[in-house]
Amino acid sequence: MTLRIAVDVGGTFTDGVLLEEATGKIWLAKSLTTYVDPGNAIATVSQQLLEQYGAAKDVSQVVHGTTLITNSLIERKGVKTALVTTTGMRDALDIRRELRYDTYDLGLTYPMPLVDLEDRHEISARLGPDGSEWKAVSNDEVASVAGKLKADKVGAVAVCFLHSPVSSRHEEQVRSILAEALPGVPVSISSEVSGAIGEYERMSTTVANAFVQPLVKSYLERLRSRFTESGIEGRLDIMVSNGAFTTAVQAGEFPIRLLESGPAGGVLSAINCGTLQKADNILAFDMGGTTAKSCVAINGLPEITHTFEFAREKRFKKGSGLPAQTPSIDLIEIGAGGGSIAKISPLGLLQVGPESAGSEPGPACYGLGGENPTVTDADLILGHLDPDGFLGGTMKLDAEKAKQALAKVGSSVGLDALETARGINEIVNENMAAAARTHIAEKGLDARRFTLIATGGAGPVHAVDVARRLRIRRILCPIASGVGSCLGFLVAPTRADRAWSKVESVDALDRESLAARVATAKSEIVDEITATGAHADTIRWNLCVEMRYLGQGANVEVVLDPELTASKHELIEKFLEEYTSVFGRMVPGGIPEVVTWRVWGVSGETVRRFELGSTSRVAGEQTKRDLYIPEKNAMEQVDVLQRGALPPGTKLRGPCIITEKESSLIISHAADVQILGDGTIEVVLDEVAA
Amino acid sequence: MSKLNPIATEILWTRLVGIVDEAAATFVRASFSTLVREANDYAVVLTDRNGRNLAQSSQSIPSFIATLPETVRLFIREFGIETMRPGDVFITNDPWYGTGHLNDATIVAPIFLNDKVVGFAGVVSHLPDIGGRLRNPANRELYEEGLQIPPLRLLHAGEEDKVLIRIIRENVRVPDETMGDLWAMTSCVTSLGLRLVNMLNETEINLDEFASDIINRTEVAMRDAIRAAPDGTWTYEIHNDGPAELKGGVVVIRATVTIAGDTVSVDYEGSSDQVNLAINTVLNYTKAYSAYALKSLFAPWIPNNEGAFLPISITAPEGSILNPRRPAPVGARGMIGHLLPPAIFGALAEPLGERTQAAPGSPSNNIQITSLTGRKRYAINAFLGAGQGGGAGRDGASAVSFPSNLSNTPVEVLENQAPIEVQSRHILRGSGGHGRYRGGDGIGMTFKFRGDSPAMAAFMINRIKCPAPGLLGGSEGRPAKLEINGKAQAASGSHVLSNGDLVIIETGGGGGYGEAK
Repeated sequence: MTLRIAVDVGGTFTDGVLLEEATGKIWLAKSLTTYVDPGNAIATVSQQLLEQYGAAKDVSQVVHGTTLITNSLIERKGVKTALVTTTGMRDALDIRRELRYDTYDLGLTYPMPLVDLEDRHEISARLGPDGSEWKAVSNDEVASVAGKLKADKVGAVAVCFLHSPVSSRHEEQVRSILAEALPGVPVSISSEVSGAIGEYERMSTTVANAFVQPLVKSYLERLRSRFTESGIEGRLDIMVSNGAFTTAVQAGEFPIRLLESGPAGGVLSAINCGTLQKADNILAFDMGGTTAKSCVAINGLPEITHTFEFAREKRFKKGSGLPAQTPSIDLIEIGAGGGSIAKISPLGLLQVGPESAGSEPGPACYGLGGENPTVTDADLILGHLDPDGFLGGTMKLDAEKAKQALAKVGSSVGLDALETARGINEIVNENMAAAARTHIAEKGLDARRFTLIATGGAGPVHAVDVARRLRIRRILCPIASGVGSCLGFLVAPTRADRAWSKVESVDALDRESLAARVATAKSEIVDEITATGAHADTIRWNLCVEMRYLGQGANVEVVLDPELTASKHELIEKFLEEYTSVFGRMVPGGIPEVVTWRVWGVSGETVRRFELGSTSRVAGEQTKRDLYIPEKNAMEQVDVLQRGALPPGTKLRGPCIITEKESSLIISHAADVQILGDGTIEVVLDEVAA
Repeated sequence: MSKLNPIATEILWTRLVGIVDEAAATFVRASFSTLVREANDYAVVLTDRNGRNLAQSSQSIPSFIATLPETVRLFIREFGIETMRPGDVFITNDPWYGTGHLNDATIVAPIFLNDKVVGFAGVVSHLPDIGGRLRNPANRELYEEGLQIPPLRLLHAGEEDKVLIRIIRENVRVPDETMGDLWAMTSCVTSLGLRLVNMLNETEINLDEFASDIINRTEVAMRDAIRAAPDGTWTYEIHNDGPAELKGGVVVIRATVTIAGDTVSVDYEGSSDQVNLAINTVLNYTKAYSAYALKSLFAPWIPNNEGAFLPISITAPEGSILNPRRPAPVGARGMIGHLLPPAIFGALAEPLGERTQAAPGSPSNNIQITSLTGRKRYAINAFLGAGQGGGAGRDGASAVSFPSNLSNTPVEVLENQAPIEVQSRHILRGSGGHGRYRGGDGIGMTFKFRGDSPAMAAFMINRIKCPAPGLLGGSEGRPAKLEINGKAQAASGSHVLSNGDLVIIETGGGGGYGEAK
């Protein structure tokens, strides 16, 4: 018997899933996250899982993901970190890009850099923009910096030199000197951590990596020995932001790549559910207490972004945080969740979020003193939530308080409580649809061909109407969405990437040295992937190059045959094809050039069917509840069904409500509803918005 | 019956801003100009069919947002809506009707729904080059500043105007990049139009009705905010480095601000006369930066449409540096225009107190270098921010672009584009003025020229003679500095750089606010 375990440490809960490889059966567990030592909750969850099924000795792999790294960056709980950089460049962390993220706010503030001024050291070694050496590394100079770092007792060092993406030799040289002089102190070099042109963003990424590295490394080591102690001898692998897993050793070297590991798992889980139902274009949609997240995936592959921002001064303001250049699943995040507060703007318009009531005092209907109406209050009045069944009945909701709060806000612009509730619901759904619409349009895709997959506590409540607004007809609601990230970890492939930047015209390309570079990258990737237990033969190769016209700043990605068979002429052809599809027209006389090469290998299955291991059906009775029906602009009584009581093959008609402990699927429109073979709920709307 | 209410209008507004931002994102990606992609020196604006400003891209510099609707109205006047056909695209860089200097092109396309013009899509962007002498304060007439493109059609019902394109190509230093940007701008307005039409079809909303609703709501909010401030008239004078022909070599900006009920007016009587130096600021640009300052003070949270500007009036005497006559040179108008917000803050310091802030060490500073490496021409154009003034409830930010919003170009990119070695780019710690709220610090930058052929360099460095003043008892910021090969330059200007030349720039600290405790 072979078992695998997935564990996701989130801000509130630590979730776990146990998978029996041969059958696809899963068992679930959940515990409150233990902040002092997250390993405690992980141990609790693993134990709960193994009490339900199997034995520790049969566990071949544990895949782990966590938001703890993001939290320690936000809370600045890293080690004392030093920066070693090119002479004259240490203030790049303060100067940033000089941009104001809100033009009309005269009192803007910016996040403090992670490294104090006195811990930033400069050395005179210098490369030119083409990678040629202007000034060699002086061993004495580096040794003297190393002496200071030692005296200062720094816990980690970040090294970032100008033009290192073109040539990493100075960074490598300095790393080896520092590593020798400072045993036990990890050194992050920017050409490895980020490798992209633009010193501020690369420096910020490298510094953040160094800042959390010692903590992550020791955390993973402790976790490893803890599993061993409890009899789990299987591998420990870590989920990274790009939607794949890597070894705990790699993760310990590049913790910055773990920032979005939890959400990445959620997206993979949604893609898995969609792919099993033959959906090519997927919009993964998740909504929680304060935010809604969505992600576009085409043919089973999620969109990836290479820029990310953390520790924002204003949560939803782009540019107010610190940049991290690391491949991440491209999540569209907006400040719309169950706790988002509705108010009347100075223009007399109803607005929702991004301010949130949080869990205390929370929405007005919690009865904990909250006076502002929230999305949850609106949901209660519209019949989306059951006042007696919230969180499995553990919390009673007060409809009267919700009504009062809604009426109070709405009355100033002539809306009653129900109209206000309806407006909040429309606005929050439209905000989510708008964010996804922009994203889909940017890729030149047609939203009508998408399937929406809903997860998260509030996701299924709003999913059907969000889909309708996007003209998406089909909505899927997978099983065990409460532990969705873990299911994603279990379908994640293993992946290793190498990238390097060298700006040159296609004409100037030297194919031989390029081929040599690709070959080196591939052999490193083979080592990295086989370290996760995969066989080298199973690696699927990918090669792409970012190209642009000489003088442009933004690149288009050109996908090439991984064997590098394309001639220069074909390279240009492919670029022009890609360019035209993104921008509509070619640039006559423009000179195509290559910027960044990326090679990556992927191994492992990415789709699998899960089935709940415990087969006991919930004996749930069917009840009725008043639900707001938009088409009729009125409340109407509809069936409320217990999800656990519905066997596969069940067919229903919307409007109706399907409820389970973690959430409720609200269908307020005419639709065909079906329970599929693996327990997934499928909704197909009769009509979508005009 | 109107479909508009506090819910529908909010939803439509979100969608409208969304489609403008989508168009802007596509434009930035396709742009050749480092100024667009690294410094956000562009704006995308949507107007109704009367040229009333409706919505604009979020990441844009404030001045363009107000000038673009003026340019749309110029096209309406010049050509008449009835002559416009689908696929027409208009262009101009006229400083008086555009953004105040020739370097910015404005491109506008009418948007058709059912054969009728329902609105206009516009984009303004700083072109990679416009010919003439490099943007240089020493230019004495507009003719020296480059190619003038009067209001013309770039596309006639979708057909390129070959004559105009030929003329532009022949008059600029980097024709491929310049035309590349003009085509990117064309795609931007075309796609913005398509997106608006889709939205109007989907929602069946009458754009005129929606425009009036959102503009009226904005106007009411702005008037409410102004009414909450005390009535009165206040005057403040601010100085900056100027040409020798002005008294004391100092530019004087004198702002008299009057709050009366729900309106506010600014008059610049008493400001310096227009000069034969490219720092004159056309009235359109004067209005744009004055309106920006007033909106930031009174109601930063309201949207940026016509309604925000209706309660505001701005006047400046004709022939003054803030309302010059043709053919005054105007290339470096930012050097004066950026003084208007601190002048208005100064005037309103008494009635608005903590909301205001002291003067920044900017106007924005700029370096341009051009020459050849081998046979290939290069041209770089880089901005340097300065310290923001203290106030608005906190110490001033260091190293920012205020009141403009131009980001820097990474050192790695600069060195890739031109043969320079940046030896340092750093914060000038302690250069902000003291006060209850300290001024932010300026930036220092040192670079060595490494090119084989000499290069033309134009420097626009502000506040060398006149540092940023403090406000309400705060002290002034440290003055700026320009030094070439160890020799201090008294003012901005043009220089020929040869291999090995060393340039040191220090930008000004921001003024302090209130007496230091």
